[in-house]
Amino acid sequence: MVDVSRVQKELTECNRDSDISGVSIALHDGGSSITHLTGTIAGPRDSPYEGGTFRIDIRLPGGYPFEPPKMQFITKVWHPNISSQNGAICLDILKDQWSPALTLKTALLSLQALLSAPAPDDPQDAVVAQQYLRDKATFVSTARYWTEAFAKSDSTGMEEKVQKLVEMGFPEDMVRSALKSVNGDENMALEKLCSG
Amino acid sequence: MASLVTSSPRPKPRGAALGPFIPGPFSRALGTRHSQSHRIRISIRLLIPATCRIPILVPLPSRRMASGESSSSHPTEKKEEAAAGGAGFDDLEDPRFQCCVCLELLYKPVVIACGHMSCFWCVHKAMHFARESHCAICRQPYTHFPSICQLLHHLLLKLEPVEYKKREKEVLEQERSVDTFSPQIIEFLNSKNNNGENGKDWDNKFEDSKTGSLGEVSVDDNTINEDSMKIKLDDVSCPICKELLYQPAVLNCGHVYCISCLPSVGDEALKCQVCGGLHPGDFPNVCLDLEHFLEEYFPAEYESRRKKLQLENIQCNPEGSSSSTSCKKGTFVQKTLDLSNVHIGVGCDSCGVYPIRGQRYKCKDCTEAIGFDLCGECYDSTSKLPGRFNQQHTPDHRMELDNTSLFDAFLRFQGIPAEGLQQLVQQMELIGADGMVQIVAAADDEMEDNHEDA
Repeated sequence: MVDVSRVQKELTECNRDSDISGVSIALHDGGSSITHLTGTIAGPRDSPYEGGTFRIDIRLPGGYPFEPPKMQFITKVWHPNISSQNGAICLDILKDQWSPALTLKTALLSLQALLSAPAPDDPQDAVVAQQYLRDKATFVSTARYWTEAFAKSDSTGMEEKVQKLVEMGFPEDMVRSALKSVNGDENMALEKLCSG
Repeated sequence: MASLVTSSPRPKPRGAALGPFIPGPFSRALGTRHSQSHRIRISIRLLIPATCRIPILVPLPSRRMASGESSSSHPTEKKEEAAAGGAGFDDLEDPRFQCCVCLELLYKPVVIACGHMSCFWCVHKAMHFARESHCAICRQPYTHFPSICQLLHHLLLKLEPVEYKKREKEVLEQERSVDTFSPQIIEFLNSKNNNGENGKDWDNKFEDSKTGSLGEVSVDDNTINEDSMKIKLDDVSCPICKELLYQPAVLNCGHVYCISCLPSVGDEALKCQVCGGLHPGDFPNVCLDLEHFLEEYFPAEYESRRKKLQLENIQCNPEGSSSSTSCKKGTFVQKTLDLSNVHIGVGCDSCGVYPIRGQRYKCKDCTEAIGFDLCGECYDSTSKLPGRFNQQHTPDHRMELDNTSLFDAFLRFQGIPAEGLQQLVQQMELIGADGMVQIVAAADDEMEDNHEDA
């Protein structure tokens, strides 16, 4: 049995100052289960992850808060301690160093800290860790590229689509609203613009 | 490394998996309702310290850390500290008396030797069933489940009467659902009117009510008038010097003293002057939450106490006793490695050691589901306390040695050969202090869940 009232308190508390802290939590896919959540963290400044928004799948085990929450990156990340394949995270406080005094918010803040301070000696993803140790410059550029490609896909992809449709001759505001209404699908937006 | 640590490192604290199979009181307290006959699989995993240990930059949300601890020099730390500590929980006027685990007002507060506190059930649920436990806030190891701090209990009852009563109701409901109860605390005067089941607590409570607070005698919580709800100096005075508590420290029995009034650290175990209970484990640290409260609530008196003590030039370490605890930590590690004499999930109802090591005596006459157990030492000292979970144990009950929860018996019960265990224990010793054995007992469905994540 998850302590529901604690989780609700945590959500309120975390989202109250999410502008400052850069982390927020919501129910997973707008669902109703309090045990399946999605966290969002902003890529830390002065790191290759700056500007990105990273989504994290959070599942609360029955024993929460006496057991750690299960966290996994949904957004693809290039980082020595995060699997580039499935987003699994190697962080002690999510494993044996968990304490019931920690919260989802502090765990997400720790993940943010992990992004700015990788620990390549204790890797989750050996390939990334090797690259980090041997060729830092390439690591940084790969990580930055992944951030651009996956952690910003919503916004950058959108701009490209808008530009493309505007070039076709549609007015920009119409393009934007059409794209918005179809959730960013370019073809459906085009159809809508043509029919409307 | 992922596969090594995917299973939860904590026991299933509410006993969903372990509850029905561990014949110990503490676990049963939590799992009595889970009578489903899931087949239990036990897997022993070695947790090699492979998890990356980045320093935790985020301060643990103690709301109020020891003043020394919170000063951070690391630049990245500051930002996060501001973020994490910036907004308190506004629900309560006084967030310092909020439990760091359930995030509610502390209910029946328990203070651990490190000076940090949580609710009775929050501490109990967070304790480890097979090895030493760690404070949720500072991670200092401890082995004994302390008694409720009655001074704080009465203080909170006066400070937040409405909220506290609300908590009482909620907790009682939960306790009813598992049919296991936290100790009842009865007011000195009221207790005369309490009939039947409370009667046996009487002797104990009589002693407890003397907890440095003569004021309790005049307090009757049934008549909530302003006068009785006001916190008096008597409520928060030291049983030894009879003055306002200065740098309060709480013993394992729940009684509070000025740290300077406690005999300085020696080889001899601390003994409570009020109840005569021995204080096992580390010398207690100052309970900072309580100290800050006293400092704010009685500023003049507290200041005069400070000056007086400085004048007297008491030799006690004014920073608290944090330094005195560190030397003992090595012994904890040693104990951790040897699981052969551990009674898994069984705690002593007298001194609170959890789990019991060595001899364990079980009461044959207590009828409560949770049972009544004593460790060898407490058995020899013939404790007259009632149980930690309000069991109605009396000294004329018959006790017997019980080995059913010993680690190897437990394993045999689960069909794991003892040799395998020996090997594991040896391997564990090779790994050293940081390695630890994880017993993961899980119902089938949960195991599958773990595999998915591996």
